[in-house]
Amino acid sequence: MKMKHLKGIALAAAAVVGLAACGGSSSSTDTTAAAGGDYSNLKVAVVYIGVPGDAGYTYQHDQGIAELEAELGITVTRLENIPEGAESAATFDQLAAEGYNLIFGTSFGYMDPMLEVSAKYPNVCFEHATGYKTSTNMGTYFGAAEEARYLSGIAAGAASKTGKLGYVAAFPIPEVVRGLNAFTLGARSVNPKATVQVAWTSTWFDPAKEKEAAQSLLQAGADVLGMHQDSTATGEAAMEAGGKWVGYNSDTKAGDFPDTWLTAPIWDWGPYYIKAAKSFAAGTCDVSQFYGNMADGTVKLGTFGSSVTAETQDLIAEKAAAIIDGSFAPFTGPIKDNTGKEVIAAGVVAPLGDLLGMQYLVEGVIGEIPKS
Amino acid sequence: MIIGNFRIELEPRLTSPKWLYAAVPAGSLVFAFIVGGVFLALTGHSPIGTYSSLISHGYTSTKGITNTLGLATPLICTGLAAAFAFRMNLFNIGEEGQMYLGMIGSAWAGIALAGHLPHVLAVPTVLIVGAAAGALWVLLPAVLRAKLGTSEIVSTLLLNYVALNLVNYFIFGSRGFFRDPTTSFPQGRGVEETARFHSFGTSNTYPTVIIAVLLAVALYWFMKRSNFGYETSVFADSPNTARYAGMNSTKLTLSVLLFSGALAGLAGAMYVVGPAGKVDPGLLQIGLGYAGIVVAALARYNFFAVVLTAILFAGLRVGGASLQISSNPVPIAIAVVLQGSVLLFALGGEIFRRNRLRIRRVQQVSVAS
Repeated sequence: MKMKHLKGIALAAAAVVGLAACGGSSSSTDTTAAAGGDYSNLKVAVVYIGVPGDAGYTYQHDQGIAELEAELGITVTRLENIPEGAESAATFDQLAAEGYNLIFGTSFGYMDPMLEVSAKYPNVCFEHATGYKTSTNMGTYFGAAEEARYLSGIAAGAASKTGKLGYVAAFPIPEVVRGLNAFTLGARSVNPKATVQVAWTSTWFDPAKEKEAAQSLLQAGADVLGMHQDSTATGEAAMEAGGKWVGYNSDTKAGDFPDTWLTAPIWDWGPYYIKAAKSFAAGTCDVSQFYGNMADGTVKLGTFGSSVTAETQDLIAEKAAAIIDGSFAPFTGPIKDNTGKEVIAAGVVAPLGDLLGMQYLVEGVIGEIPKS
Repeated sequence: MIIGNFRIELEPRLTSPKWLYAAVPAGSLVFAFIVGGVFLALTGHSPIGTYSSLISHGYTSTKGITNTLGLATPLICTGLAAAFAFRMNLFNIGEEGQMYLGMIGSAWAGIALAGHLPHVLAVPTVLIVGAAAGALWVLLPAVLRAKLGTSEIVSTLLLNYVALNLVNYFIFGSRGFFRDPTTSFPQGRGVEETARFHSFGTSNTYPTVIIAVLLAVALYWFMKRSNFGYETSVFADSPNTARYAGMNSTKLTLSVLLFSGALAGLAGAMYVVGPAGKVDPGLLQIGLGYAGIVVAALARYNFFAVVLTAILFAGLRVGGASLQISSNPVPIAIAVVLQGSVLLFALGGEIFRRNRLRIRRVQQVSVAS
């Protein structure tokens, strides 16, 4: 879709250097020209649910934004700690009104407010992480964390002595259920009798609650934990109890858990942010539903801890290569749910649409999700 | 406290002159901005520039004031709810949970009833059902307090957590009535379009703000003019006198708490007919119920002052978050420190209204201990 600012770009090419500052660019025109484009008309903002200091979800997005800034030579305005829900419309409205023309929102609960504000500002490009609604000037972005979840499950299954694993999970929604199932499939691929007990916390970020849930799983006999939360509290509980754990989002804190860290599925948002910004600078707001994966580098497996054996690392590397070249997918049948019903037939690879709406727990998971 | 040759004392005032009621909050505000300014300067931000940006983003720009009024609308209601109960020494601190119930109740009405009603009745019905749900949520604490003297502070507070989990259950933990049936993503089911107000123009302010302000006026008039208002003020001053005069304390306690709950429920209902249009767990993240208690305390339980304080408070939030939109962004943590210091000094300033500062020369110099 062609944007009005195309004309602006043409103007800016002949503009005085001072204009670059108005466009929100902190770098000299020379650098951006050398990088192959003029980005002085881009005014980019990102809205975070939390703070980059969480060493998890928001931290990884912030790393990606930093990559975007370095690549394009621009400065991105960051808004931290913006609560989800209807009141967040005011924030997006304010940004658009102040001339920001490319606005990223990183949390699911911004979806309807962003959609509503996008209708008011047809020349502003909105990009929303983790949602499903799009418009003529709003796209979505997310990725197949389940690929790396499966690999991290292999590390967890191999590290467990008791065969009892635990999983601290935020909400019983498809994204989380998909990750939990992939983790379980990975664990059972090396430890066929392994079970994964799940503890729901009803929060994305509440270190105290996450830790409590982790402790309850450890007390119930789990010796390896996985998690789908924004903080590293699960790791603290595991370390205190002498258990092992698999992180999520980021591996930046791996060094804080010397003997207990296994690995983590992590995000690399940089390539996506750069692609979206370049596309918009060229006149097109990317309104597609971007779903990154290991092949394009959006999803990765983090660094290994010392207790992952070389043998396990080799196995994981082999599976990772197969996922990347497309010869293997974690959700390949036959797969049964935890009531014994077949959910994916033998030889069938579950299509993305099914994965995005996943509403069952695979065999080996001890827990329940709400029925429709 | 003794400093050098002077003894500094606080002496309780028997009466506070009228001008102090305005001067103390104003002085506190100035003092808070001075302290905040030092903080800003130390972290490399221009105090003047930051404050003018805060004021423009929060109050004086069209976008700023309309965003602020939008956030202030439910806050006025929770503030009125707290002020109304606290006046009678009934410490309902369950506005947060009652507001959630108001959201649930009004969403139910907006989905189940609104379609069967003529347009003009849809929004009022949704608001009334929301208010009723808020009142219902305080019924148990109110009965326990009225009949058994159980502390309403604890019971209303605890029910906040129950209400929070109820909303989470409806949206994330189950796939029932309140959840959008068209998607597997956890979302509230939208209410009928007839059950919603349109915002003013392209702003984020809804006509509910007028209702909230009218409520404050009505409450003021009601408490001044009605029998009920008279009885509650007697009861607040001295429950024994009230009983001696033949007033029914059980009835008074029940009705004050239920009405307070209804006002808080209305806050949630206004969120539904206004910006949200569904059960929206985003409401759980902004603490408008607890903020209502702060607003009521700052307003010294005066209904008109609640309106002004709620707008002031909402503007601090809206403007504070917007300080991040700048080439030298003020981190959200510093914006929160600014908000906190305003509240702290405004509440702390009370001490100077109730007491007189006396500085006397000490005859014999003694070592301060």
